[in-house]
Amino acid sequence: MKPHAEKTQEISRILQEWSDGRQNASDELMPLVYDELRRQAARYLRRERPGHTLQTTALIHETYLKLVDQRNVDWQNRAHFFGIAAQAMKRILVDYAKARHRHKRGGAAENLPIDEARFVASGEKSVDLVALDEALGRLAQLDSQQAQIVELKFFGGFTIDEIAETLRISPATVKREWNSAKAWLHGEIVN
Amino acid sequence: MMSPERWRKIKSLFDAAMEIEASGRGAFLDNNCDGDAVLRGEVRRLIDSFENAESFIEKPAAAEVASLILEPSETLKNGQRFAHYEIQRQIGVGGMGEVYLAQDENLDRKVAIKILNEQFGRDESNLQRFVREAKAASALNHPNILIIHEIGMSGETNYIVSEFVEGETLRGVISKLHSHPDRVTTLSEILDIAIQIAGALSAAHGAHIVHRDIKPENIIVRPDGYVKILDFGLAKLVEQKAVGFEASTVKLNETAKGVILGTVNYMSPEQAKGEKVDERTDIFSFGILIYEMIAGRTPFIGDSMSETFANLINAEPQPLLRFVSNVPDELQRIVGKSLRKNKGERYQTMKGLLADLKDLRENLAFDERLEKSHSSGDKNPTTLLHATTVDGVNQTGEANQNTTGQTKSKRSFVFAVFGIAIICALGLGYFYFFSDNATSNPNVRKSLAVLPFINASQDPNADYLADGVTESIINNLSQLSGLRVMSRNSAFRFKDDQTDVKAIASKLGVETLVTGDIKQVGDKFVINVRLIDASDDSQIWGSQYVKTTADIIAAQNEIAQAVVQNLRVKLSNAEQQRLGKNYTENVEAWQLYQRGRFHTFKLTPPETNKGIGYFQQAIGLDPNYALAYAGLSDAYRSLAIGSEIDPAENFPKAIAAARKSIEIDDAISEGHTALAISLFWGEWNWTEAENQFKRALELNPNEVNAHLFYAHFLSNLGRHTDAITEVERAVELDPLFPFANALEGQFLNHAGRPDEALDQLQKTFELAPNFWMPHLFASSAYIDKGMYAEAIAEARKVRELSAAQTFSIALESYALAKSQKTNEAQNVLNELLKLSETRSIPATHIAMAYNGLGETDKALEWLEKGYAEHDPKMAFLKVEPKWSNLRNEPRFVNLMRRMNFE
Repeated sequence: MKPHAEKTQEISRILQEWSDGRQNASDELMPLVYDELRRQAARYLRRERPGHTLQTTALIHETYLKLVDQRNVDWQNRAHFFGIAAQAMKRILVDYAKARHRHKRGGAAENLPIDEARFVASGEKSVDLVALDEALGRLAQLDSQQAQIVELKFFGGFTIDEIAETLRISPATVKREWNSAKAWLHGEIVN
Repeated sequence: MMSPERWRKIKSLFDAAMEIEASGRGAFLDNNCDGDAVLRGEVRRLIDSFENAESFIEKPAAAEVASLILEPSETLKNGQRFAHYEIQRQIGVGGMGEVYLAQDENLDRKVAIKILNEQFGRDESNLQRFVREAKAASALNHPNILIIHEIGMSGETNYIVSEFVEGETLRGVISKLHSHPDRVTTLSEILDIAIQIAGALSAAHGAHIVHRDIKPENIIVRPDGYVKILDFGLAKLVEQKAVGFEASTVKLNETAKGVILGTVNYMSPEQAKGEKVDERTDIFSFGILIYEMIAGRTPFIGDSMSETFANLINAEPQPLLRFVSNVPDELQRIVGKSLRKNKGERYQTMKGLLADLKDLRENLAFDERLEKSHSSGDKNPTTLLHATTVDGVNQTGEANQNTTGQTKSKRSFVFAVFGIAIICALGLGYFYFFSDNATSNPNVRKSLAVLPFINASQDPNADYLADGVTESIINNLSQLSGLRVMSRNSAFRFKDDQTDVKAIASKLGVETLVTGDIKQVGDKFVINVRLIDASDDSQIWGSQYVKTTADIIAAQNEIAQAVVQNLRVKLSNAEQQRLGKNYTENVEAWQLYQRGRFHTFKLTPPETNKGIGYFQQAIGLDPNYALAYAGLSDAYRSLAIGSEIDPAENFPKAIAAARKSIEIDDAISEGHTALAISLFWGEWNWTEAENQFKRALELNPNEVNAHLFYAHFLSNLGRHTDAITEVERAVELDPLFPFANALEGQFLNHAGRPDEALDQLQKTFELAPNFWMPHLFASSAYIDKGMYAEAIAEARKVRELSAAQTFSIALESYALAKSQKTNEAQNVLNELLKLSETRSIPATHIAMAYNGLGETDKALEWLEKGYAEHDPKMAFLKVEPKWSNLRNEPRFVNLMRRMNFE
């Protein structure tokens, strides 16, 4: 593992390059955030007993504090980072869901609802994370900002206000965009 | 694929439509889609989808997923031996160590083993103190305190072995209470949990043991509602070592912002300040628990740990009314008094707090009875209503106009009415209370029918599963004395019935219904369940269970538990245990058993044989599956009696299977009933049969078969009054069960009451127009009344309806002979004799035809044959009026004696 200071520097550099327009910067950032999120979760679990509600935003914030040198970060980089973190969270969950399918179905590629009690409990209706991920990909083709709002809210655990602040749009807009995105996704994967 | 432009258009119309009332949206779309019907349809679908989406993806995906996304840390592996325990699986990882489910090989029981992280074992004096306290708490032997079996050391590892409690932590319960917008939080549920915790803490404090770490994670709620407190004394051990627990080591720095708060939320001010801890510390933490159960959040929580600390030291908690619109004042007072920052102002003893909680529960129950007597709806004063807004205090309980639906606003409204009811009650309401005591008595049995779950899978082969789940739930619930549960047979008449629930409930005479569907998706089952108040078709409770195949048995128990909880049925301890009972842990065996039941219920010999095969397979997988043995016994008996096949062979098999069921588990009523039936019917062992019936009914007073066949037994012995009482009990439990209704007719006839018998049989005709049995009994009754033409008509009706039944042929011949149509009678008898060359005909049938023709010798000869063959109809020898002419015959008397009739 790289020393901590070196890593934060690297991340700050990547974020800066991204702001400067390097498109694939996010691809480099993703594995770093992915690993750190898992590490944070592990650290959290060592500290506390099972059963606690894991607040995703708290996890992401902590990852952010850990990875990003805050003295040199502007809101745009912060927004980028949260976006990446929400995506990383999505990947962690979707990967988990896929692995579980493989495990349960003996390798068959069939997509089944991921409805372990924990997932159900978090939203009453069970959500097929794999299908949701695919539908989100299609939504991004129609409106990338809407897809991002869903990622931040559902996978990142951010509130409407936090999303508004991150994306620099009004909370009312976030709410409106969220509603139509949610309706569309529900139609895509449930009906 | 839609274009982004198209999507923008749809979206903007959707946004605009959502701004206006639902009723105006149709017109809005008509005017604003430029006549583009496709566009209109797309927007419409999006709106519908939104309306249906409800809570879909509203809560963050990872809310509780932490443990899933981590590779588990496992010190011990499955199957590994640890001391004299065999590790089965890890059930938790925590700050202090790991917890495993294990099998104690010495005592052959399940235990939980907590392996402590090594740092906790280093301080010898601390460890000893912990051991002392943990043992002392366990030694209280309090039902709500986890029993510690052993605290030991293996190599370098300290471990604690305790009883294994199945259930979920209070954390899970709280999140369920508050995660469903439609779910009504019932105060009685919360009080029930709180009172159990308070009872345990009160006992511990009595022995000078302070828990010090009361929080939802340390409390387990079993599926039957029983609460267990874990980890007495453990906090003391951790206190010294765990970073962040003791106040002095907690750094209130800003970088901690966003850190997930754990234990801090349940700390007392004295703990936060590092002051001395005593019993009153537990009282404070307990106050936080009650607060959280009601409000869904802890009272002092802030955005950061430092804010939480500051709140804990300085701020007063928000009144509970802010979260829930109808918290009783007394409850607010109790919580407030528990949460005083100054120890001296709090409750000084847990005992005092416990007494106040109990009083409150009693008063609420009284109010509820009062209210119920005042109006008969499902108004429930102990139902907590979630306030619509957190900002505005909703004290009036006025109707909410939110989107989650009518049930909510209705409940609020109902509560407002209830408020008025209370005021009235103070003046004149007592009149209603006392005059209408019967309906308001909480001990009055509630009535319920579980309608057959719908098989929502495409695969008709999954029918057995839907039936099986329904039946298991019925079985679980029907063993409770506080609940009158419609039996399987009556409930199953509504399989695939589209009649509305109100009509069904009124036909069955029940107040509430459970409906559901089950769908198999891969290796998962999705079960939807609704508990419905039949008076107004409103939903009392509903839930979706998504279970793996392995959990299907547990799911049925959960559903049964939930129904009981939501109907607030009072259970005795024994009932609580029975309700949670699994008859097998082996899911495959359970499925095979259900297939067995499914086929045997079809009552034809090939289907019964199929059923026998499935029961045997089930037993092959789980040799201790007592219920499967009882099923097997029923199936063999069904061959012997219903299908008239080899009784001499099948009765002994039925008896052996039933005995095996009892040998495995004496507490299952079905085994005793199965044994009793075959004993008296196949072996004329009346004495043991009666004991077995009594045992069965003691175990399960609601078992229809036990009542019905006990009635049969009594009728056969000539104890007619008792027989009629028993059969009426069976019919009450299962009013639409044609078999029970028909048998009642037969017993009335054998009691010498043919007119009442015919009335009863007439009712049965209407209930089941194509069922042969009542016609058979009617034919028999007409003969005894001397109405031979009617008897012949009924006998012929039986032959039309069921070619397999040969007793009707005997009755036809008998009636013909008695109406002086000897030749015809002889012809019908010859037909029967001819049939007997190709298949086995019960000897008693032939004996009866000969007896009708006055050929006494032949009749006695065939009866003797019936005895040798163990013909089931021999059991009627004593009470069947058509044998009356033989009663003085020495051979008949001898036969009666050998059959143990006196």
